[in-house]
Amino acid sequence: MITKESSIVTEAFLLTQRRAKELLREPQWIFSGMATPILYLVLFAPLLTNIPSALFGGLSVVQMFVPGMLVLFAFGSGQGIGWTVIHELDTGVIERFRVTPVRRVSLLLGSVIRDGLFFIVCALIVCLIAIPFGFVIHPSGLALTLLLLAVLTGTVSATSAAIGLALKNIGALAASIMSMQLPLTLLAGALLPISMGPTWLRVLAHFNPFYYAVEAARDLASGHILTVNVGLGFLVVFAVFALALTWASRVFQKAVA
Amino acid sequence: MLDSTPAPLAIEVRGLKKTFPVRTRGAVPKPTPADPGQDGASASPPGQPPTPPPKQSRRGAFVEAVSGIDLDVPHGQVFAFLGPNGAGKTTTLRILTTLLPATSGTAKVAGFDVTTQQRQVRRNIGYVGQLGGTDLDHATGRENLVLAARLYGLRKRDALTRAAELLEGFDLTALADQETSTYSGGQRRRLDVALGMVGQPSVLFLDEPSTGLDPQNRMNLWDQVRRLRAAGTTVFLTTHYLDEADALADNVAIMDHGQIIARGTPAELKARTGSTTLDDVFLTLTGRVLRDTESQEVRS
Ligand SMILES: Nc1ncnc2c1ncn2[C@@H]1O[C@H](COP(=O)(O)OP(=O)(O)O)[C@@H](O)[C@H]1O
Ligand SMILES: [Mg+2]
Repeated sequence: MITKESSIVTEAFLLTQRRAKELLREPQWIFSGMATPILYLVLFAPLLTNIPSALFGGLSVVQMFVPGMLVLFAFGSGQGIGWTVIHELDTGVIERFRVTPVRRVSLLLGSVIRDGLFFIVCALIVCLIAIPFGFVIHPSGLALTLLLLAVLTGTVSATSAAIGLALKNIGALAASIMSMQLPLTLLAGALLPISMGPTWLRVLAHFNPFYYAVEAARDLASGHILTVNVGLGFLVVFAVFALALTWASRVFQKAVA
Repeated sequence: MLDSTPAPLAIEVRGLKKTFPVRTRGAVPKPTPADPGQDGASASPPGQPPTPPPKQSRRGAFVEAVSGIDLDVPHGQVFAFLGPNGAGKTTTLRILTTLLPATSGTAKVAGFDVTTQQRQVRRNIGYVGQLGGTDLDHATGRENLVLAARLYGLRKRDALTRAAELLEGFDLTALADQETSTYSGGQRRRLDVALGMVGQPSVLFLDEPSTGLDPQNRMNLWDQVRRLRAAGTTVFLTTHYLDEADALADNVAIMDHGQIIARGTPAELKARTGSTTLDDVFLTLTGRVLRDTESQEVRS
C-alpha cells in the first residue's frame, strides 16, 4: 500500500491536464466550438444594426451583443462533458477512478477547470475578432467578464457530467441538455436585452441564473465594474456553481455503472 | 494512526444483501414456490441459469442480487468467487470496493468498514472491473499508469518508475507509448489489471479477469496472480471458469441466485460431491451446467 496522500490541488491539476490533453489531441472540437460565436458575430449581429441604440441603454449593437453571445458560448463550452462521462462509464474508467482514494470533487474539477480554461482562451479570441466589428475592449471589465463566464461554463460542465452519470444514456442526456439550453439562454436575453420585452417576460427572467450573468457581462464588457448588476451576477453565478458542484459530487459518490 | 497489528481477515462479510428496483411492464406475477412448473432448475433449458423472478414489495418490484451472504477471506489468500452470469458476483464486488451501497449487512475490507470508512478501504484495495477501466481516449499505456500512480500520491519520478515496473511485469513495455486505442483485447486487459495494481493494494479484486482472453494470455494472468499471492497480496477474483479456480484459488465460494451454495478448498468441494472437476461439483449441487453457453469473444 502506498501511504502518501495527494492534495486536492494535485488531483485537480492532474485531472485537468488529462482532460486538456484529450481536447488538444482532438482539435476539431476547438474549431467547431469557436465557430458558433464567430458565426453569430458575422451572420446575426449585422441584423441588429438598424435598431436604435437607445433600446440597448445607449450601447452600440456589438457592445451589447458580444457579452450575450459569450454567455451562449459558455453554455456550449460546458455542455459536452456529459457525453464523455457516459462513454467513460461504459469503458469502466469512471469505476476505476471511483475505487481510488481520489476525492469525488476532484473527479469533477478536472472537467470543470478544463472547460472553464477552454472558454477563456476561445472567448478572448472571439473578442479580438470582434474588434473590427466595433467591439471596444475595456481590459479589467473584460477580464472580469471572462472570469464570471468561465465559472458559468464550469457550472454547466458539472451539471452536464452529473446528468450524464445519472441518466447513463446519450439520448436522454441530449434531450435534457437541449430542453434546458433554449429556455435558459433565450430567457436570459442573450441575443437581445430582456428589458425590451413585456413585463411577464422580464419577471420570469429573474428566476433564471443566466439572466444575471448576461446583465453583469453587459455592464462589465462596457467597463462598468461597480454596478448592482455586476454584484448580483457574481453572487448568483458563484452560488449556482457551488450548488452544481455539490450536487454533481454526490452523483459521483453514488454513481452505479 | 493506522493499526500496527494486521486485521485478522482481509475480507469479512456478514449478512450482506443487495436489492435493485426493477421496472416491469404490467403486473409482476407473485412468486409461487409451491408451483412445480415454476421450479427454476427444471424449467430452464440446460446450461441457462434461470433468472429469478422479480419479487414484489410495498415499494414496488425488486430483484435480490445478493441475498444475505457471509464471507471470510484470510490475508494472503487467493479467493475465487464462482457462479453463472447473474449470480450476484459483480454486485458483491462493487459493494466490497465501495462502488455500491449495500441494502443491509456489513462488510469489512482490510479491516475497514466499506460504508463508514470508504477512504481507508480505497487506500488499501485495487479493483479491476468487468468493463476494464483503461482510458482509451488519446492516452498511452504509460500515461494511464503514471496518472493513476500520481493520484495515489506518488511524485512524478516515482510514478514513472512504478509505471515502468508494471509495464515490464505485464509485458507491455514495447507498447508503452502507443495510444491504448490501438491495443488488442488481451493487451488492454493486461493494462486493466496493471492499473488495478498501481497503488500496491493489500487486497486486489478482479472481476472476471480472464473472460475473453486467449489461453496464452490466461496463463500470463495466472502467473501474475500467483506472483501477487507470493508477495502477500490477497486476491479476490470472480470467474465462471472452474479450471481457473482450481488452478489458482486457496478457497472457493460458489454463488447462485445471490446465495453461497457451497464453499471450501477446491479439493474439499470435489471430495464432498465425489466429482473430479469443479464443473461436476456445480452440476451435482444445482443440477445445472455452470459454464454458460453465451458465445465469448476471444481477446488475443
Ligand atoms: N444496476 C442494476 N440494476 C438492476 N439490476 C441489477 C443491477 N446490477 C445487477 N443487477 C441484477 O442483479 C443480478 C446479479 O447481477 P451481477 O451481480 O452482475 O451478477 P454476476 O456478476 O454474477 O453475473 C442480476 O439479476 C442483474 O440483472
Ligand atoms: Mg459479473
